[in-house]
Amino acid sequence: MLKIVFGAALAAGVLAAQTLPAPTCNLVPGWTQSGAARTYESDNLFEYMDGNAEGYLIYGFQKMQGVSCKKGEITFVMDVSDMGDADSAYGIFTANFDSRQPGNKIGMGGQIQPRRAVFSKGQYYVEIGANPEGDHTAALTEWTAALEKTISGRTDVPPAMSWFPTEKRTGLRLVPESALGLRLLKRGYVAQYDFGKAFVVFEASPESAAAVMQKLKARFGDTTPATIADEAFQANDKYLGKLCFFRKGSYIGGYTISQDGNDGVALATALADKVR
Amino acid sequence: MSSSRRNFLVAGIGLPALATASRSADPEPQTRTRRPSDIQFEYRTLGNTGLKVTAVGMGCMVTSDGSVVERAADMGITYFDTARGYSGGNNERMVGAALKAKRNSITLSSKSHARTGPEALNDLDTSLKELGTDHLDIWYLHNKTKPEDVTDDLLEAQQTAKKAGKIRFAGVSTHSGQPTLIPWLAKNPHVDVVLSAYNFTLDPGVGAALEQAAAAGKGVVAMKVMAGGFRTIKPGDPAYPKLKQDGGLLAALKWAMRNPKVVHTTIPSITDNDQLEENLTAMGHPISVAEQKLLAERMELIRPLYCRTCGECDDLCRQGLPVADMLRILTYADGYGQFALGRERFLELDPAHTSVKCGDCPSCTVQCPHGVKVVERLIRAQELFAC
Repeated sequence: MLKIVFGAALAAGVLAAQTLPAPTCNLVPGWTQSGAARTYESDNLFEYMDGNAEGYLIYGFQKMQGVSCKKGEITFVMDVSDMGDADSAYGIFTANFDSRQPGNKIGMGGQIQPRRAVFSKGQYYVEIGANPEGDHTAALTEWTAALEKTISGRTDVPPAMSWFPTEKRTGLRLVPESALGLRLLKRGYVAQYDFGKAFVVFEASPESAAAVMQKLKARFGDTTPATIADEAFQANDKYLGKLCFFRKGSYIGGYTISQDGNDGVALATALADKVR
Repeated sequence: MSSSRRNFLVAGIGLPALATASRSADPEPQTRTRRPSDIQFEYRTLGNTGLKVTAVGMGCMVTSDGSVVERAADMGITYFDTARGYSGGNNERMVGAALKAKRNSITLSSKSHARTGPEALNDLDTSLKELGTDHLDIWYLHNKTKPEDVTDDLLEAQQTAKKAGKIRFAGVSTHSGQPTLIPWLAKNPHVDVVLSAYNFTLDPGVGAALEQAAAAGKGVVAMKVMAGGFRTIKPGDPAYPKLKQDGGLLAALKWAMRNPKVVHTTIPSITDNDQLEENLTAMGHPISVAEQKLLAERMELIRPLYCRTCGECDDLCRQGLPVADMLRILTYADGYGQFALGRERFLELDPAHTSVKCGDCPSCTVQCPHGVKVVERLIRAQELFAC
């Protein structure tokens, strides 16, 4: 599975040479362009979305092409962002996904709400904002379908998404840096549960992962060993709760339990079994 | 140029030379409390709002985990900022959950990008629901650039929210256009707090405008205190290790908060616990000579590009070009990545000036005493904007 994950990243790098698809208003009949088309890169994204640009940059934003389309009094603001690779595109999608609402099968993943639609496909992240207030679900559905056809790239979700149990899960997102608020855990997926969090981060090699585990133990201080995968420990943290972290090859994962009655070791063991 | 503006220019740009003077001129914080961790918390009052907040607050936009927010509140940070639009609304939910137990002892702000009053009020209701609170301490109209952006409709929405008890104070946030917008906000009785981008690389006029707002009783909150200054420094750049790893970010934070007559509090984006702990050390430890040198080195890198607007080149151009204005306008595009704003300002200049091509002049009569390569910069502005 490790090979698949890194293979996907490699493939994404090749795909990075693709041309960023520019949305056009004639994709759906009856819509006309309003204003000039937009193009932004990482150095001037602030010009377009000052106040929110950092949220894109941390996910590896490269370039954006956008256009606003009108039909009667309705305006759709559409932007397609090149996030550099498919994992990052899906990552920013997960960060913006409202986990309380259902998702839609668009590309790697999508979500259509009354005034907003988002999806990721390949290395691209697509957003549509609708004005004025109202339920624009039907038109957004039509537009996302049309836009998806213009974008090539992966439609399968990153393998790590299937590692986390769905029961009692309230969210799952890619954290681009400092998972669980710990700088040592550079980048990985974090699942939120009613009772705590589960995570898996990726290191470049088993050796570097082992080194991170040592630093984590030093950080938490009073740790006790656990028998999971290559190595594991338990600890307590005032903010994260009861911890059980493991290393399996180049992966570091585990659970943080904030509610009594949940067995962190058993949960972490099950998670480690899924990580491949 | 007013003396206060000139003074600010000197303080902002002549970092190494001013190191000693700046140290001795560091104002006494209003209150200091020593904590067990040896972090000296410094509290300041947000203008006429009376809200007392830590000089270092927390921008939560890119915070990786709610536990960092919770920890920050426990450690003593008292001002937290989010916005309706961050992470599709998920950020407000994370911040609200993390601060639930501390809500009554902290100052909480959020923002709306809405362009109409009704939409803004809808945003506010959503913000309150997501944050799990019945009121915001400060509610900002987000990312305004010109006075015209701050419409009566939006200001009325804020007043409506105030009367309904949904917000305590009304604010406006701005990332550009500050020298024009902030003085206007300073005079507006409906605006209680100004949240502005402010860092050591910005046009000194930003600081002067903020000082004016603070003097008018507005609360002044600084954002982009680091990112603006280091945005163009990337891994591989020779300056990267020094600025990113040798305390450059902390130095930039200290620079932004060094004068409580200009800035009451700062909201650096805090990603993780390490950054949180580092940022807290900025309080009670004034910017050092070494740190000022570090920032000065960054300024040295951009010296050929960066106009100090000192006025020394006024009337020197044989074509009558407003050199400082044109260089400042170019900085919007090259320095802050705001091409549209730069072009807009350029096209507002006298057509007799925008049509001049510096490359046609046999020699230039303008020599910048600070080393700005004036001819190259003006030609770039003409190539970039005059089309």
